[in-house]
Amino acid sequence: MQRLNDPVLVVQGLTVYRGTHLAAQDISFTVPAGTDTAIIGPNGAGKSTLIQAVLGILPHQAGQIMALGHALSDRGYLPPAVRQQIAYLPQNFLLDRRIPITVSELVGLGWDRVGLQLPWVGSRARRQAVRAALTKVEAWHLRDQLVSSLSGGETKRVLLAYCLVRPRALLILDEAPAGLDVRGESEFYQLLHQLKQEQGWAILQVSHDLDMVRRSCDRVLCINRQLLCEGTPDHALAPEQLSLAYGPDLVRYQHNC
Amino acid sequence: MGQISFVINITVNFPATMSLETELTRVIELFQLPFMQRALMGGVLTGLMGGLLGSFTVLRQLSFFSDALGHSALFGISIGLLLGISPSWVILPFSVVFALAVTYILERTQLWTDALLNIIYSSSLALGIILLSFRDEYRGGLSHLLFGDILAVQTTDLVFSVLLLVACAGFIGLTLRSQILMTLHEPMAKARGVNVSAHRTAFIVLLALVVGISIKAIGVLLISAFVVIPACAARLLSRQFTHYILLSAVLGAISAVVGMLLSALFDLPSGPSIVTVQLGIFLLAALIPTARAIAS
Repeated sequence: MQRLNDPVLVVQGLTVYRGTHLAAQDISFTVPAGTDTAIIGPNGAGKSTLIQAVLGILPHQAGQIMALGHALSDRGYLPPAVRQQIAYLPQNFLLDRRIPITVSELVGLGWDRVGLQLPWVGSRARRQAVRAALTKVEAWHLRDQLVSSLSGGETKRVLLAYCLVRPRALLILDEAPAGLDVRGESEFYQLLHQLKQEQGWAILQVSHDLDMVRRSCDRVLCINRQLLCEGTPDHALAPEQLSLAYGPDLVRYQHNC
Repeated sequence: MGQISFVINITVNFPATMSLETELTRVIELFQLPFMQRALMGGVLTGLMGGLLGSFTVLRQLSFFSDALGHSALFGISIGLLLGISPSWVILPFSVVFALAVTYILERTQLWTDALLNIIYSSSLALGIILLSFRDEYRGGLSHLLFGDILAVQTTDLVFSVLLLVACAGFIGLTLRSQILMTLHEPMAKARGVNVSAHRTAFIVLLALVVGISIKAIGVLLISAFVVIPACAARLLSRQFTHYILLSAVLGAISAVVGMLLSALFDLPSGPSIVTVQLGIFLLAALIPTARAIAS
C-alpha cells in the first residue's frame, strides 16, 4: 500500500499523436496515492487518448510517464509487478456475445498474472479472491452467468470486480459509471471512496459528469488537447475555467431538487 | 520429412451381404496395418491441433485466414516443385512467411479483411495450379493436393505433428490468461502488460505450421474445416472458456477417429469422411439446445 500523497503516477510533457492527428500536447500532472483525479474536457479533447497513452496502450511521441516509480518504456513496457498494481476499466466494453465466458472466469482474469504460468497454479486463492470481489460489488449471485447475458449495469459491476480482485495502487476509469442506474452509480462512487480512503488507491477517471466530479474528486485536470487548467474542483470547475475548455457559450444548469 | 506421396490409393470393396461382424473384423484387421495406424494417429493429431488453435481462431474471426493459408500452401508446393525442392521442405517455411506477410498487410490496409483474404486465397490457388501445369508428372496428383491423402502419412510426419502439438499445447497452456484476455478485449490486455503483437504473431506462426503440416493428410480444400468446425461445435456446447478450448480439441480428435473408422468401414475417402463427421457433431451440437427446450 502506498503512503497517502506519495506520487503513484507522474506524467511529464506527454505528447501523443493518433496517426497524423495531434491528440495530446505537452501534458504534465501527478496523481498521488489516496486521491481521486478527474479528467474533463469536451468530446474529442483527447481524454481517452491520454489515459490510453498513460497505460501504454497507445504509444507516446514525447514526454515521460512514471508509474509507481517505474518509467513506461516507448514500447509500453512496465515491470509485471507494477502492471499488477494498475487496473483499467475501459469506456466501451463491448464483449462479442458469442464468446463463452462466465462472470467468475472474467473476474479471475483480473487476479491472474499475465506472464507464463501453468493454468491451474493458484486456483484456490483465485477462487477466494473472485468470491470476495464479486461479493464486494454485490454480484456473487451472477458468478455462473455468461457475461454476454448481463445487463449494462451488471456488466459494469462485474468489470469493477475484475479491477478489485487484487489490491491495486492505481485505478484508471474511462467514463466507468455510464450505464449504471442512480442507485448503482451511487454505490459505485461509495466503493471508489472506500478504496481511496481505506486502501490508499489512487484513482484517475475520465468523466463528463461535472456534478459528480465536484462532489467526489479531489483534483481536476481540464484538457482540450493540452492541459488548460488543473486544481481542486472549486477552482477547475469555475465558469471562467470551463469556458476555456468548452467555449464561452457553455451554460451550466444547477439542479437543486 | 519424407517425400509427399500422391499415389497411394487403397480401394477395399466388400460384398454388401457380409455381416456386420465380418465388416468389423475387417476394419480391425485394417487398423493393424502400419499405414492405417499412422493415418489414424495423423488424423487424431491434426484434430487435436486444429481444435486447440481453432477455438481462438474462430473467436478472433480468423476462420477465413486459415482457409487462405490452406490455399496458399498449394502455391508454395508448386514453387517447390518448379525449383526441384521436395514440397515437404517448402510448405512449412512458405506457410509461415506467407502468414506473416498477410498479417502485415491486413494490419495496414484499409480494405475489408474478408475481401482481401479472398483476393489472396483465390489468386494463390490460381497461381499454384498454373505452376503445377508446367510439371506434367504432378498434373494427376492435383486431387491429392486438394483433398489430401491421410493414408500416405509417414512416421516423420507424425514426429513433426507430435512436436507441433506439444508446442501448441505449451503455448496455449502457459499463456492461457493472456490469450483469453486478448480475445475478449485487446486494450484491457495491453493495459495488463500483455504483449499483444508478440502473442498474435506467435499464434499466427503456430496456425500456419499446423495448416502447413496438415495439408498432406487433409488437403488444401478441407484443412480449414479441421480448424473451424470442431471449434464451432464446442462453442455451442460450452459456457466456460477453458471448457470450450478443451472440448474443441477433443471433438477434433473424436471426429478424426470416427471419420477414419467410417472411411474404412464404408470404403470412403478419409479426409472428407472426417469432415463429414465434424459436420455431424456440429449439427448435433446445434440441435441439443432445441431438444432441451422441447424436453422441458
